[in-house]
Amino acid sequence: MDKHRPPKVLAIASGGGHWVQMRRIMPAFEGMDVCYASVDPSSAADVPGHAYYAFRDVSRRDRLGFAVLIAQLARILLRERPDVVITTGSAPCLFALGMAKTFLRARTIWIDSIANAERMSSSGAQARRVADVWLTQWEHLARPGGPDYWGAVL
Amino acid sequence: MIFVTIGSMFPFDRLIQRMDEWAQAHPEAELLAQIGDGAYAPTHMPWVRRLDQVDFARKVAEADLVVAHAGMGSVITASQFRKPIVMLPRLKEWDEHTTDHQIATANWLRDKPGVYIADADADLGPRIAEALAAGGPAEPTFAAEAPDEFIARLRSCIFGQS
Repeated sequence: MDKHRPPKVLAIASGGGHWVQMRRIMPAFEGMDVCYASVDPSSAADVPGHAYYAFRDVSRRDRLGFAVLIAQLARILLRERPDVVITTGSAPCLFALGMAKTFLRARTIWIDSIANAERMSSSGAQARRVADVWLTQWEHLARPGGPDYWGAVL
Repeated sequence: MIFVTIGSMFPFDRLIQRMDEWAQAHPEAELLAQIGDGAYAPTHMPWVRRLDQVDFARKVAEADLVVAHAGMGSVITASQFRKPIVMLPRLKEWDEHTTDHQIATANWLRDKPGVYIADADADLGPRIAEALAAGGPAEPTFAAEAPDEFIARLRSCIFGQS
């Protein structure tokens, strides 16, 4: 990464509460070259002046939809070539992190949803393998070796 | 207006059915239900399957009360517009979600101002009455953005300093 320019960031989150949590950390990207991705085309209204991509809303119950999703994620990643990919979940974003790390050698940040107060989400637990920074929003869920706790969106 | 929402993913017919019964018992009340892919179609309140993020926020802004699943999108949006919210957690046992994390969410949110938890179906009516009587919280339950320290830590991490 060129040390003289701010990193290029892809901030990606599923819909509903995942995107609502992403909105709360947007000040962290101020002044950076950041683009966004989520599932609802209307969420573009939340990020005026930034590139916004909609991807297919795929749950763990919809295995077939993953093929479409992977193609969409590949297109976003190849077009934007982010240095850093940050997500507040869920499952589709696990794939985004894995692909970004494998193919672009991007640095990856997983912030498990604050909804997971008793244990990491299933995707969040798997994110260990693809996240350079692996975070829970609950201090009591942090462990030596990860996940780490840096704070919460609320 | 009471805005009933099941969030953006799985159906939650139990909440919709209970609220349809509530609507039948309260013909004077104005409601709108967002029911997702639920199989149960309400007959006593207007409903839509989906709202985009913009319309969702608009409906919350127009509502006197939000009745929802125990999802973070619903509670944070309700807080943003200082609306009281009644939440009924989804249960894994009844295939309403993949885990029981909404029970945990309901438990840590239960003492927040403006948040009313219905632990069981039978609690919905009483919680709705309480919430309508109390109105919205004086201050938003949550600040508009994540705490500065969390933002700062993420920011320096993105810049490669940690």
